[in-house]
Amino acid sequence: MHSTESSIRGFQINTTNTLPISRTGNAPLSRWSGHVRGFFRIILASPSGIFGFSVISLFLLLAIFAPLIAPYGPFDVVYAGPHAVIRLSPPTWRNLFGTTNEGMDVFSQVIWGTRVAILVGLLSSLGSVLVGTAIGLIAGYLGGPVDRVLMRLTDIAFAMPFLPFAMVVISVVKPSLGLVILLVVAFLWRTTARVVRAQTLSLKTRVYVRAARMSGASHGQIILRHILPSILPISFLYMAVGVQSGVMLESALSFLGFGSPDVQSWGAMLNAAFRVGALRVAWWWGLPPSIALSLFVVAVFMLTRAYETHLDPRLRVE
Amino acid sequence: MKRLAKRLLSFITVVWAVLTIFFIMFKLLPGDPTAVFLDSNLSPELIARQKALWGLSDPMWLQYVRYIKNMATFHFGVSFFQQQPVSEILWERVKNTCLMIFPALLISIVGGTLIGAIAGWRRGGRFERITVGLSLLLHSAPSFVVGILALMVFAYRLRWLPSGGIVSLGAPDGFWQILGSGDYVRHAILPVMVLVSREITGPILLLRSSMFDIKSSDFIEILRAKGISETRVLVHATRNALLPLATYIAVMIGVAFQGQVLLEIIFAWPGIGRELVTALADLDYPIAQACLFVMALVILTMNFIVDALYGVIDPRISN
Repeated sequence: MHSTESSIRGFQINTTNTLPISRTGNAPLSRWSGHVRGFFRIILASPSGIFGFSVISLFLLLAIFAPLIAPYGPFDVVYAGPHAVIRLSPPTWRNLFGTTNEGMDVFSQVIWGTRVAILVGLLSSLGSVLVGTAIGLIAGYLGGPVDRVLMRLTDIAFAMPFLPFAMVVISVVKPSLGLVILLVVAFLWRTTARVVRAQTLSLKTRVYVRAARMSGASHGQIILRHILPSILPISFLYMAVGVQSGVMLESALSFLGFGSPDVQSWGAMLNAAFRVGALRVAWWWGLPPSIALSLFVVAVFMLTRAYETHLDPRLRVE
Repeated sequence: MKRLAKRLLSFITVVWAVLTIFFIMFKLLPGDPTAVFLDSNLSPELIARQKALWGLSDPMWLQYVRYIKNMATFHFGVSFFQQQPVSEILWERVKNTCLMIFPALLISIVGGTLIGAIAGWRRGGRFERITVGLSLLLHSAPSFVVGILALMVFAYRLRWLPSGGIVSLGAPDGFWQILGSGDYVRHAILPVMVLVSREITGPILLLRSSMFDIKSSDFIEILRAKGISETRVLVHATRNALLPLATYIAVMIGVAFQGQVLLEIIFAWPGIGRELVTALADLDYPIAQACLFVMALVILTMNFIVDALYGVIDPRISN
């Protein structure tokens, strides 16, 4: 299954020859900063990379400065006077994107929603890549029964339909943002694990790894120093992919009404608008979260695409 | 053959593991589903008797064995609310889901193959640039947002199409009557097109990239040297580029089957995903459990078919 999936994403496991392994010598720190600098150079070299990078930077700024930008809190009710809630008002100067049926400011909710999106995106992708890379490395490097058990575990993970599974878990346990992130991690690690394992399998037969082995390097040293650096670009790629999937899955769950009730995410906004049937009239309520979500997801995709195309030049469109 | 047997064995193991996970989930997670159905004013003896009747006071291992046996033989029990065998309800819902998925997949596969083949053939042209750009955009966009926007524009604002349901109220609802009616077509256009907007990107991108490889292969040169017209060369090339699509179709079915929950909610489509959401809201656990299992089973079966197909299509994998 994986190979078709990857050719759809267009990603081929073919990264080892594009890596700056030998350039930066032994110091792990300079290797890391080399990776980061290389990443920016790659991203900013293509129009789609520049687009993705600017849009995401914008969302980051919105998230950081949300308290300064949003005129109201995510759950604040706007009053015109005493006991006069402004319900379902179209956009005005006071409420740039209008208000909801409960009199909450849509503009403010969208701004606060960026915080949720970025938090979910970062944590879920970080978690899934850590788990996936660790499992893939261990399975690929050790092989044998460990590999078989871990890969069977991956097969099981691949059988899980995410939304139905998450909906059931959430309805039995109390819904919260932490649980949603946990579920996304439990769902996303599988692809990274498979790809990293395949890559590790091929790397461990390379001459330089065998040479290290013969000169007495320990397993830990080989994994950390000789295999991990070549895995990192893939992990990095899957982390970016994970941001996109994480945000999309969280908003899907929230839209279905299984999100955390304590935060105002874009999906939760759409859920509220859809549930009360407000989308029939209140376009100003449905449109902003839809656009914000699409823009964010597409921007992350553009960014990963730019990076991917660098890793595999066959994807380029002349 | 040996490879297939091995795959089948691992398929059964994974199904069993998945069932066990679901069992643990429904049994051990906090929350007592029976509390909703048993009036707390009943005497403790009565509650205990009812629980014994449901088999809930048996030892855990016995419940587990019974559960696995029932699930494996598709005996899903009786719905708490609808007082109807779960398998009957589920069968109806699965048929409805298929009424949305299969037209969409058919359009996506046929349309995507044509568009992708042409795009790959004319590498570097404007057609390729636009197709690829648009496909990547649609591939990455959240399809439920596309669904909401389509609903807002075409159903609410323009009022061209109905906003939900599979047929109008009061229309005959037998499977074949639905399939043959213009009413169904009008209801299906929006959800099917939204699903197509995402699913079609797969075949397009896949065909495009496999056309690259084939275009530069020797047999195309030979066809050209023989003086065959460009259109017929394109047909030959496409036929070869179709191979990877065969396995991708199975993947598509699996993905569509779990992803349509959102579209079924948006378009009030009475399919299996919507049934699960309703069942969870009603705490109707027999239905929820069966829905989850059927969805997982579809994905697993499709993954198994993909694996089996790989061996048939590319014999090098067999050993």
